[in-house]
Amino acid sequence: MTAALELDAVKKSFGGVTAVNGVSLRLEPGRIYGLIGPNGSGKTTLFNCITGVERRDAGRIFFQGERIDGLKPWQIAVKGVGRTFQVTRVFPELSALENLLVVTRGDRAAAERRGRELLAFVKLEQLAGEYAGNLSYGQQKLVEFVRVLMRDPSLVLLDEPAAGVNRTLLNDLLEAVRRLRDEGRTVLLVEHDMKVVMGLCEVVFVLDHGDKIAEGPPGIIQADERVIEAYFGR
Amino acid sequence: MNVVITPAMIAQVVISGLLSGTLYAMVALGLALIFGVMRVINIAHGPMLMLGAYVTFFLYSAFGVNPYLTLPASMAVLFVLGMLLERTLVFRVVDAPELSSLLLTFGISIALVNLAQLAFTSDLRAVEFLTGSFVIGPVAVSKPRIVAFAFAAIITAAAFLFLRNTKLGKAIRATSQSRDVAMVCGINVGRIHLITFGFAAALAAAGGTLIAVIVAIQPEMGQIWTFKSFLVIVLGGAGNYPGALVGGMLLGLIEQLASLFLTTQLSEAVAYVLLVLVLLIRPTGILGGRST
Repeated sequence: MTAALELDAVKKSFGGVTAVNGVSLRLEPGRIYGLIGPNGSGKTTLFNCITGVERRDAGRIFFQGERIDGLKPWQIAVKGVGRTFQVTRVFPELSALENLLVVTRGDRAAAERRGRELLAFVKLEQLAGEYAGNLSYGQQKLVEFVRVLMRDPSLVLLDEPAAGVNRTLLNDLLEAVRRLRDEGRTVLLVEHDMKVVMGLCEVVFVLDHGDKIAEGPPGIIQADERVIEAYFGR
Repeated sequence: MNVVITPAMIAQVVISGLLSGTLYAMVALGLALIFGVMRVINIAHGPMLMLGAYVTFFLYSAFGVNPYLTLPASMAVLFVLGMLLERTLVFRVVDAPELSSLLLTFGISIALVNLAQLAFTSDLRAVEFLTGSFVIGPVAVSKPRIVAFAFAAIITAAAFLFLRNTKLGKAIRATSQSRDVAMVCGINVGRIHLITFGFAAALAAAGGTLIAVIVAIQPEMGQIWTFKSFLVIVLGGAGNYPGALVGGMLLGLIEQLASLFLTTQLSEAVAYVLLVLVLLIRPTGILGGRST
């Protein structure tokens, strides 16, 4: 079966600092994957390489069997890779609804219907006309999350989806992520909240100083010595 | 110096100020758009206005076209020229440090002015189309200024409606609010830059056409508009599009007010003194940076 996403020895350094040091990984379609590692281990850089925001220095990236390294970020997005940012980024001076509509193409009425559905899905339909910059951080996070879904992406990259979201919303959010998987989408998430990672992910990749040091089901990863060492030191 | 201010003089100042302020707002909106979307201060904005004025002059003198009907032509010519400049030169400096884009657009500005001198000579040209004034009570307003105001108001309103309501307009605003996010959301940012630059050049061209009927046309007429537009967006808050409206009106009023008390040369200087003061005291502009 064609992998949803395949990284082959992807490298990226900034000046003399190697952020991602030849990472290879393979995501099967319709599953939820976790990407964990201490601060500065290269998680966000890897996201940036996949989405084209940073140009990788070496290695190859395939999305559904098609090579995407070298494409522009918007081309990768149009192909069906959606992402959120670690520090939530909405368009502050567009309304919540406009934030969703600005990413779509084609039929405006259909897009608006879909946009309102998605806002209702995260219980923000009352705030559709409010400037996104006026929403609370958690609400902005939800707007960003459903904005990703507007394009109906088959691969969803979530950079710390749980950070700053209150407990009630968090359960809705986790449920939403599971539903993405059930719809056949592939999810890769960076998360520091281990409960979220353990409860959600089927396979976890662990990065440390730009190297992939472990890969496997969360239960096994938790007991892996190299992982414990990377997090807590020896 | 004793100046007696009568209500009629105040009325004259306010009306003249708002008339020219609208024109300033329209031209400066172009500069504000390029700055907002690309983070480039386009020094060549004024020379583009100059080219727009020449388009009008040649269509008027060669074919006798009503200068106001040349608006679509001058805007279209500069839209295309703006896109050409973006695609060949300006796109290279979008991510570069500010100094690179300042130097590049300064170079483009010099090139445009000198090419215009070469092609059109430095002779002063005029479009003598509409003369005389409307007199309402104690207030007199020249006809070409009224017409320029009307067209500028319509074009500016249309530009704001376009930015506010159309898909492309929203994509332009989204790009200026966060380029990275726009990219990963699937917005072709390069295309947005291209269109924005062309659109801004067209706004400058509209200004050129409208003032072609008011002032003498010559290759160096444009530079002062770069500086005035810059002042307008600084007054209104750089990167804040409605701020261009506020800044334009303020500049118009201040210039007119200054002309009440000062000689013409001195009142020209007031704008620049103001620029320095605003940058020192309130660098985010009167409205305070980005706001809705």
